[in-house]
Amino acid sequence: MFEEPFRWMEAISTRHSYVREKLSKGQPVIGVPCKEGAVIVGFSPQPGKIFEIYDRIALGGLGHPADVERLRMTLLDMAHAEGFNRSAEDVTIGRLLQFGLAPALKQNFEEIQRAPYLIQMLLAEINHDGYAEFFRVNYDGYWEKFKQGTVIVGDIKVSERIQKMIEGTDFLSLSLDQSIHSALRIWEEGRKKPKLAGESDSSPEESSEVDEEMEGFPVDLKEAFERWNLEVGVLNNKTTRKCLFRSLSESEISALQSKMG
Amino acid sequence: MTENFERINSSGDFFELLKRSGHNAQQSLSGIPKNAALEIPQGTTVLAFHYKDGIIVAGDRRATAGNSIMYDRCDKVIPIDDYSLMAIAGVPATAFEMARILSHNFEYYRRSQLRAMSTEGKVRALSKLLKDNVAMALQGVGGVSPLFAIYDTQQNKAFLYFYDMLGAEFQILTHVATGSGSPMIKGVLEHENLWGLSPLAERSEGEATSLSIRLLQTAAQFDSATGQARPEDKLYPIIAKVTKDGYQFIRDDEMETIYKSSMNRS
Repeated sequence: MFEEPFRWMEAISTRHSYVREKLSKGQPVIGVPCKEGAVIVGFSPQPGKIFEIYDRIALGGLGHPADVERLRMTLLDMAHAEGFNRSAEDVTIGRLLQFGLAPALKQNFEEIQRAPYLIQMLLAEINHDGYAEFFRVNYDGYWEKFKQGTVIVGDIKVSERIQKMIEGTDFLSLSLDQSIHSALRIWEEGRKKPKLAGESDSSPEESSEVDEEMEGFPVDLKEAFERWNLEVGVLNNKTTRKCLFRSLSESEISALQSKMG
Repeated sequence: MTENFERINSSGDFFELLKRSGHNAQQSLSGIPKNAALEIPQGTTVLAFHYKDGIIVAGDRRATAGNSIMYDRCDKVIPIDDYSLMAIAGVPATAFEMARILSHNFEYYRRSQLRAMSTEGKVRALSKLLKDNVAMALQGVGGVSPLFAIYDTQQNKAFLYFYDMLGAEFQILTHVATGSGSPMIKGVLEHENLWGLSPLAERSEGEATSLSIRLLQTAAQFDSATGQARPEDKLYPIIAKVTKDGYQFIRDDEMETIYKSSMNRS
């Protein structure tokens, strides 16, 4: 049935629609640089959004938790086998994606008899020059690299808004704490429906309205802190440890909540 | 690199990942006749003891093969993860490989299982490596007898283990030394612990590092396979501590000062 090119293209197109629809309500995970390295933030109803992959690599995932877990384990396996067989310096996101994950994801997506991965990933790395780099990976293996930070979120309009805000902020001049605060404010602002041209600036009700896609989800940081779990992963370039990753502890998250929520 | 795609095993077992990736860490030399003329680099003194803040681990830097000195800057105290160190005596090739496997094993487990491996699990992981290496050890080309020092952050307590070549683990409550130079200093350690100015476990970091340097110099005096410090070449023993803050090596510039003061009679 898929032998004819048109049928195959139609099947692929349907697959894209199916995956995008499934991912459409995925909540933003934001990765940005800071003076100390890089930070990834995200809220989720259940824990399991931000992870350590290797000494200098962190992952933020969005989509079906089982698929996030499978690809997380795949990345862990690839990184550790490579780091053991060669060196930790040979484990880079670029290599893991270009020669490992991306071709495999593309193949999976185009084998239309198989279930596609319902996933978007944000990977952050402190490269060996000490700078943060960010990568966004799509369910079909397509990936992009960002220096100023990036976001993964199901809704493409929200993604564009947040990406613009990230690029409009000089995160490299901010400390770790300031970067976390700014990223969370962007998380909150990015989910709000933008005002239409001609709308008055003095209508806070309108401006704080969230996108239709986000209905039923927390509308602001206060509600997000109350209903969901915030996860913050940090790649700290200033540490003397080999592993740069650490997650913010519960007490640090509580302190953030009392300051911001 | 894609060989592991969709071949997921979530046990967090790095040994299994190695096997899946085609690595045979414990390949024995079955069928290969023993080469009597073969001289493998070995010979060492490494020691460790409990002190006030945790455990001090120290080792000389020499690697020998028979009567030849092969290398004089060998690092025999190896960090495994943030809270553990391994000190090696025996065949360096096998020992370094074991340390690398162990290090990846602990980190792989922590990252995949989202929690650190227990102290007992870590201690047994090294035991398993040694047990799997018995064939090589018996053939005389892969024998390793390591020390393992770890700080358990749950129990807020430091643990020290000694292993024999077959993989048996022995918890050490006071002090231990291994390698060809160790018989020369075991008695000194015992004497210091029982009748020194204070028990080893009550000594400060300065006292503990100073004693370590003196012990290694003593071992080198009587054992040709143990290297002496050579300040003129900035060559000093390697000394590290494992405390509640993790492992930390004494830097070379600190070693210079500590060495000078330790060589004086006090």
